[in-house]
Order: sequence, then C-alpha cells, then structure tokens
Amino acid sequence: MPNNYFNTLPLREQLEQLAKCRFMDISEFSDGVSALKGKKMVIIGCGAQGLNQGLNLRDSGLDVSYALRQAAITEKRQSWKNASENGFTVGTYEELVPTADIVLNLTPDKQHTSVVNAVMPLMKEGACLSYSHGFNIVEEGMKIREDLTVIMVAPKCPGSEVRAEYVRGFGVPTLIAVHEDNDPKGEGLALAKAYAVGTGGHKAGVLMSSFIAEVKSDLMGEQTILCGMLQTGSLLCFDKMIEEGIDAGYASKLIQFGWETVTEALKYGGVTNMLDRLSNPAKIKAFDLSEELKVIMRPLYNKHQDDIIDGTFSRTMMEDWANDDKNLLGWRAETAETAFEKTPAGDVEISEQEYFDHGILMVAMVKAGVELAFETMTAAGIVADSAYYESLHETPLIANTIARKKLYEMNATISDTAEYGCYLYNHACLPLLADFMKGIKSDVIGRGLPVDDNGVDNARLIEVNTALRSHPVEAIGAVLRGHMADMKKIV
Amino acid sequence: MTTRRPIRLEALTIQFDERFQLNNINWQIEPDQHWVITGTNGAGKSALAAVLAGAGELVSGSLSGLPARVGVVSFEAQAELIEAERKKDDADILDVISEGTPVHEMLFKDCADPATARDLVARFKLEYLLDRAFRKLSTGESRKVMLIRALASKPDLLVLDEPFDGLDADTLAMLQQYLATLIETVPMVLVLNRFDEFPDFITDIAYVNQGELQLQVKRDDPRAYAELYQLLHLKTTQLAVPPADPETAIPALDPQQPLVRLKDVGIKYDDKALFSDLDWTINPNQHWQLSGPNGSGKTGLLSLITGDHPQCYVNDIFVFGFQRGSGESIWQIKQFIGYVSSALQWEYRVGTSLRNVIISGFYDSIGLYSKYSDRQRQIADQWLALLGMSHRADQPFNKLSYGDQRLLLIARAMVKHPPLLILDEPCLGLDDMNRQLVLALIEKICAGSETAVVYVNHHPEDRIEGIDNYLALNTPAPTQ
Ligand SMILES: NC(=O)c1ccc[n+]([C@@H]2O[C@H](COP(=O)([O-])OP(=O)(O)OC[C@H]3O[C@@H](n4cnc5c(N)ncnc54)[C@H](OP(=O)(O)O)[C@@H]3O)[C@@H](O)[C@H]2O)c1
Repeated sequence: MPNNYFNTLPLREQLEQLAKCRFMDISEFSDGVSALKGKKMVIIGCGAQGLNQGLNLRDSGLDVSYALRQAAITEKRQSWKNASENGFTVGTYEELVPTADIVLNLTPDKQHTSVVNAVMPLMKEGACLSYSHGFNIVEEGMKIREDLTVIMVAPKCPGSEVRAEYVRGFGVPTLIAVHEDNDPKGEGLALAKAYAVGTGGHKAGVLMSSFIAEVKSDLMGEQTILCGMLQTGSLLCFDKMIEEGIDAGYASKLIQFGWETVTEALKYGGVTNMLDRLSNPAKIKAFDLSEELKVIMRPLYNKHQDDIIDGTFSRTMMEDWANDDKNLLGWRAETAETAFEKTPAGDVEISEQEYFDHGILMVAMVKAGVELAFETMTAAGIVADSAYYESLHETPLIANTIARKKLYEMNATISDTAEYGCYLYNHACLPLLADFMKGIKSDVIGRGLPVDDNGVDNARLIEVNTALRSHPVEAIGAVLRGHMADMKKIV
Repeated sequence: MTTRRPIRLEALTIQFDERFQLNNINWQIEPDQHWVITGTNGAGKSALAAVLAGAGELVSGSLSGLPARVGVVSFEAQAELIEAERKKDDADILDVISEGTPVHEMLFKDCADPATARDLVARFKLEYLLDRAFRKLSTGESRKVMLIRALASKPDLLVLDEPFDGLDADTLAMLQQYLATLIETVPMVLVLNRFDEFPDFITDIAYVNQGELQLQVKRDDPRAYAELYQLLHLKTTQLAVPPADPETAIPALDPQQPLVRLKDVGIKYDDKALFSDLDWTINPNQHWQLSGPNGSGKTGLLSLITGDHPQCYVNDIFVFGFQRGSGESIWQIKQFIGYVSSALQWEYRVGTSLRNVIISGFYDSIGLYSKYSDRQRQIADQWLALLGMSHRADQPFNKLSYGDQRLLLIARAMVKHPPLLILDEPCLGLDDMNRQLVLALIEKICAGSETAVVYVNHHPEDRIEGIDNYLALNTPAPTQ
C-alpha cells in the first residue's frame, strides 16, 4: 500500500519543503547543457510531454531515445509512431534502460508506480531518474534505489506549448527540484538545470522548488481555479442563460469562447487588466459578485487544500484507481451529458469586447477563483511565485482547451489526476452556489448591463480599483510577467 | 475643348532595336487623365513614352486613338534635332561657314501658336539667345527651346520625358505652374524618376519594368501610391546592404567545404516517401532555384537543411561543418541560415515593433527575448531605411501590410549576413506591387557576394537575375 512521503516528515521539514521556491537568475544557467552532454537520455513514454521534451532535448544537441512498453511497440501504437516517425531510436525497457545515464519518466502519473518498479531494476548504478510531476514520490511514497539521483523538471505548460515555444527560440516557465533523499553524488541540481536548458525553459524563467511544493501546489491549482472553477462556471452560466430565455446557441458560444477571451487579458496584465476591460459600472458589478463568491467558496478552497496537504485527496483517488476508475469514468460520462456540453455553439458573431460585456459573471468567477486559489496556497505555506504559476498563469492555457472542444477537450488534455480533482470540486461547488445563482439575472451573464447610464460613484470606483491593484497576486504577477515582458508579446 | 477619344494600347509589342522591346502593353489614357510613367533606368519608360510619339516597330497588338499633333520633349528628340543640325552643316557645299539654324527660326518658323512661344521665351528668360545657332546651345538651353516648341505647337497630347531634368529650382517651379494651366486643354504624359517631382495634377502613374507595363496606380489611392514610392526607392537607391554586427559575427566556415551536402536523403511518413534518394550540394555563394509541384516536398527538403524537420536526424546531412546527429544543437545550425516563408510569417504573429523584428534575426528567434546591443539597433535602423520604413520603426509588426511584413522578414533573415539565405516562395500571396518589391530586394541580395540564395518558386515570371542553378522535384510515384 502506498505510503504518503509528505506525512512521514516532521512538521518543521514539511513547512520548509512547502516554502521552497526561488526564481533563478539566467546567469545560473551559463553552463548550458554541458552536464548532460554525451550522456544517454532514455525517455519512458512518448505522449504529450515525452515527445515534445524529447524533440527539444535532441535539438539542443543531446542524445535522446525512447523506451516503450512492449505492447506499444508490437501494436505500433501512437506513442511508437510519435517516436519512430520523428527519427528517434525506440526500444524495449530491457534494450535501452541499462544503457541510460538518465531515465525520464514521462508516463501518466497513475502508471508511475508500475513503470518505476519495472524500470528501476534495469537502471545502471549511479544513474538518474527524472520526473515531470512529483505525485509518485510525494503522494505514493515511491522509494528509489539509494544509488540513483532523483530530479524533477516540470514545464508549466502542455507539451505542445513546450515545443512551440522552443521552436520560436524561447521556452516555457519551468519548475525544477532535487529529491534530497536521492542525491548521492550531489549532481542533481546540475542535471536538472541542464535539462531545463535543453527544453528551453531557462529562457522563460525557472523556479527552484521541491517535489513537495510542486505537488501540493500543482494539485491545488488544477482542481480549483484551473479546471474545477471553469467547469462549474460553464454549467451554471449556461443553465442560467437558458432560464433567462437567451438563445441556446448564443449561450453555448459565449461560454465556450468566453473563458479564453477574458482570461487572455490575464496574460497581459493580471486580474486588474481583466476587470479594466469592463465599463465602470460593469467593473464594480463584477467586483461585488466576486467578493460574494469568495465568501461562499472560501471554505471549499480550504477543504481542497487541506485534503491535498494531508493526503486525503490522493488516498481517495488511489482507491478509485484500485477500483478500476469507477468514479472517474462515471463522472466523465455525466459531464458529457450536461446541457452545456450537448449544445453546439451557435453561428453568431460575438465581438471580443462583447465577451467581457456579456460575461460579467464569468469575469467575476475567474477573479474569485484565481484570488482564492492564490490566497489558499500561500496561506498553506506555498511561496507566492509558485502559487502564481499554478493559478493565474495557467488559467488561459486551460481556457484554450475549452475553446477547442468544450469540457470534453479540457478533461481529455489534463491529467487523470487533475480531471478527478476537477469533478470533486464541481460536485461540491454546484450546490454551494445554488442560492447565489438564484439572484443572478441576464444583466451579468448573457445580455450585459443596460447601457442607458454609465455613471458610477467616484469614491466607490477608486475603492474598487485600489482593491484590485493591491491584491498580492498582482504584485508577484507583475514581477514574473516582467521577466517575460518585452520579450514575449505573442498575440 | 474638342471631344477626344481615349488612347488605347492593346497587347502591344513594339520593337526598338535588336536589344530592346516593349512587351504586351495594355494601357488606356483617357482624355482627362495626366500620367507619369516611372521605373528604373533601362526599364523602358522612355520607350513607352516614345511609342506615343510614333516610335518603334509594331510587332503585334494594336495602338489606337493617337492624336495627330503630339508635342514631344525627350533626350532622344533633342539628340535627333542636334544631329540633324550637324548633318545640315556637313552637307553645306558652299564656302560660307554656316552657323546653323538660329533659335528664333527654330521657334517661330511654322509655329502654330506664336503668342504662346513669345510668352514662354519671356518666362524662360531666353531672349538673350534668340539669335544664336541652335546647335551652339548648352544642353539645358536647347532643352528649354524644345519645351517651348512642344508647348507652342497646339498639341493634342504632350509627351514630356524628364522635362524637369537640369532645370534650376525657379525655372522648375515656373514650368510646373505653367503645365498646371494646361490640364483642361491637353492630356499629358510625363516620364519622371523622382516622386517629389510629380506635379499635383497627375492623376495616374504607370510603372514600367523590364519592358513591361507592370503596375498602374491611381494618384488618389494613398496605399498603392506609398507602396510604389517604396518600390522605386528600393529599386533606385544606391544604399548597399547594411553591415553585419561584428560582436555577434557568425563563426567562419571552411571555404573549401560545401555549405550543405545531402546524400541519398528522403522523408517518409507511414512508409510513404515524400521524396527519396536525393543528393544536393550547395557551395558557398552559389544561387539555386528549387522548383516542383505542390506536395513534391520542397518545404520538407528545406526543413531537413534548417533542422526543422525531425527526420534530419536519420538522414545523411552535412551542414556548415556539422554532420547532423553528432551532438550539435539546432541553434548552431540556424545561425548560418536566413529563412523566409509564408509559414514563418504566419508564425510571426507578434505585436512587437518593426525594429525588434529585424533585431530578432540576430537571435534566430520569433519574437525578441534577449537584450540587444546599440550596434544591433543601429543596424536594424539602417535596414529600415533601406526598406523605406524608417518612420514606422516603432509600429507593431502585425499591423503592417502583408507585403511589408514579407520585406521585413527578408531583412530579418539577412541582418546577420548568413552564408545561406532560404526563400521559400517569398512572393506567395503577394499582389503585383509587393511582388516587385520583394524581388527588388532579393536581387540586391543576390548581387552581393557573401550569401548563397536558395529560392523556391514555381512562377517562371518571378525569375531572379543571378540565379543559375536549378533543382526540380517531381511528385513522387506512390510507393506501396
Ligand atoms: N500534460 C501536461 O500539461 C503536463 C505538464 C507538466 C508535466 N506533466 C507530467 O508529464 C508526465 C506525462 O504526462 P503526459 O501528459 O505527457 O502523458 P500522456 O500524453 O498521456 O503520455 C503518456 C505516455 O506514456 C505511455 N504509457 C501509458 N501507460 C503506460 C504504462 N503503463 N507503461 C509505460 N508507458 C505507458 C503512453 O504510451 P502507450 O500507452 O502507447 O504505451 C504515452 O506515450 C506526467 O507525469 C505529467 O504529470 C504533464
């Protein structure tokens, strides 16, 4: 039975690990990829991260090949095609793992225990095992052979972005960590840094963190604001618009593309900029709604964070794994049957500004979710930089997936872990907001405020603007975006 | 004013001598229009003007509506007249030394409109030379006499080839004003090289290049007018390509080695070959045209060279001193290559400034992510000047016209003076004007001595001077 690693640590060390996070200076990467030069890198799994990280590493002059499970090779599955069509050497664990200086485990988190158990005995003495997410180590307490170095290099973006940004000559923000229990030669940090350079991450900003901080913040972000809030918000806003007599096709489109449009504004100037896109009366309205939402939802955010910290979340999810994913699959089917999911976006023109003007409630939900997630994480001891990446930074990326194919696409793109947590959040949040939704009318979702009077009270407007700008997520956001500003103005 | 017919040139091909011909000219001059013909030296603009005065030998097509009386001023007409005067002199068998025809006779004998001639003599201040022999005049003086003759001939059409050439500022202003008083009376066709000399009354502009009338632009279409200005600027400016940045100079290559050597290369998807068994060597400063139908793998082949195609690692590829797959990084390869394609332009959807787009060429990045030096900024500004875009340096790239974006990306590709410049269908999606602009810039680059150009195109009319190696890809036979 899995043994939660975090729970085995004394409180002092738990706090220290959670608070581990430092934005690294570009000068710390002046050695480039040299720590990995001439070493054999073998990637297990060739999916979203596996393929795209591998392409980048090879283009950075490193020696990359893929070890796939036998079935994937025999059946010529997509993962086999990904690797071989791109001209990589592909082999079985037995063929490739014994030659590896570093093994990159890029299989789904759920499979990590079985994959690591299969691979570890084949690894040569003193090699390195790397992850892009720490769940296996932190939540399942996987014990790695003492002679092996264990590191993490986690791009804070989907695999396709990891590649696209590299090709542009840039990279995506990346978190690196060394598992201190497994750093026998003290070379973990050098390897992780070289790996981050190989994927281009150093150009966009690297956080030096810990396995624990990465897992506890990553889980929190994905199940609350990133996926949970967007799913719950989609369902509630759609049903309300239908109830208010708005055309179903319009409602469906406003939501499907609305998340992407309003959160795009986050990328450039945070929550403040997103609200600045609204008229003065609409801004005050969105602010008031979000304050109300924050009061109602705060206990839920706290519960998610608590369950993540003490391991309740991972334990219940792993029970479902053991039960053939009964809950996950049931919830997935349930989502497919919702009215929002089943109503195609109408063939109507909606201008960019109209998504804001008619989506005041959606803006309020994003603001409430981002701020709550950020506040909850930092209250749990997670450093602001990390909390920023796991909340505000990733929201537009997830919103893009909804624009592509609604909730189905979002849940297909995110990991099973994120998906499971998203459903948990959704189930709790829907009833929680029932009363609140009773008071909602189409002026804040679907039709927009009446335009006859744009006047607002000066004092109130100043109050709202000050509150927006002084939230701590805005301060750290300005710093971190500054590292990419000027440079990355991709529209 | 009598009712006049338009002058119509239809599919007109006219031969001048063995060396020059105007091809397939389609042009209509309405009675109320005033045209400028413009183009570079040797483009055929004077020839086109001369056609209106009856010059040249008709090869095919038709020319109709030419009025009987055409007033012509040009270097050719001037030279002819002077030559004729000299012949008269030689033919003189008398012992008396002939002075030749005096100016007053040139102007007033058989003059249709002596009042105008007198008026113009005063305006040009030519009274002092009325008694001199025409062939003794300086070029500028005889040109003025020509102008007066043409203007005082009651013409139905005025054809003035570089009428302002060699005139001082006052006379130029006087002549421009005078011509402006004629606009209701007579249609005018002026040949002019300099945009700033275009009189205000001009309604239409014809751009001639390589013996063809390639563009016709309305004066009141500001966008097309600005583009034509830019084109002429590029075509005529003496500016050389700006220098490279000594700080970030590209490492020197062994001049004995080819830039690129592909052996038996191919690209395969699902066991289907896009192309296979291809050999190609590109030597320093060798220009190539690569052609082939859609789907023949042109872009794929190029991306093996640039390292953008993942199968570059399973082919025998030697580029810039590196055997691919021996531990080099793609940035070590890309530093030697300038690359332009529609796909790049599509990728380059950035709101960054024009200047930054050019600077990004030093870093081979799409978007600018590095701190750049003052020197790099200066070089970028020189490129902007070359393109005639200095005043727009800080504007966002994505607000530029499609053609201007392409020009800018070519400058971005060239800014580091790469040994290899790859232009993948650089004219794709461009209108005539922008195509001319892009080709003009590429010709400038081909004329330099340090960059090998690989030019991909299947439009034969977009041939570029200076390219003399060809590689053609065929649609591969479907393999089983
Ligand atoms: N997605 C993201 O945005 C993201 C971001 C950062 C980090 N990560 C992390 O990156 C890792 C990989 O995620 P991903 O999204 O790239 O996963 P993915 O796209 O689902 O790819 C997983 C790969 O692993 C193989 N695989 C599945 N089950 C396996 C098993 N039992 N044994 C061996 N191979 C197996 C699959 O190939 P076959 O089924 O054909 O064998 C597939 O190629 C995870 O740790 C994840 O948390 C993901």
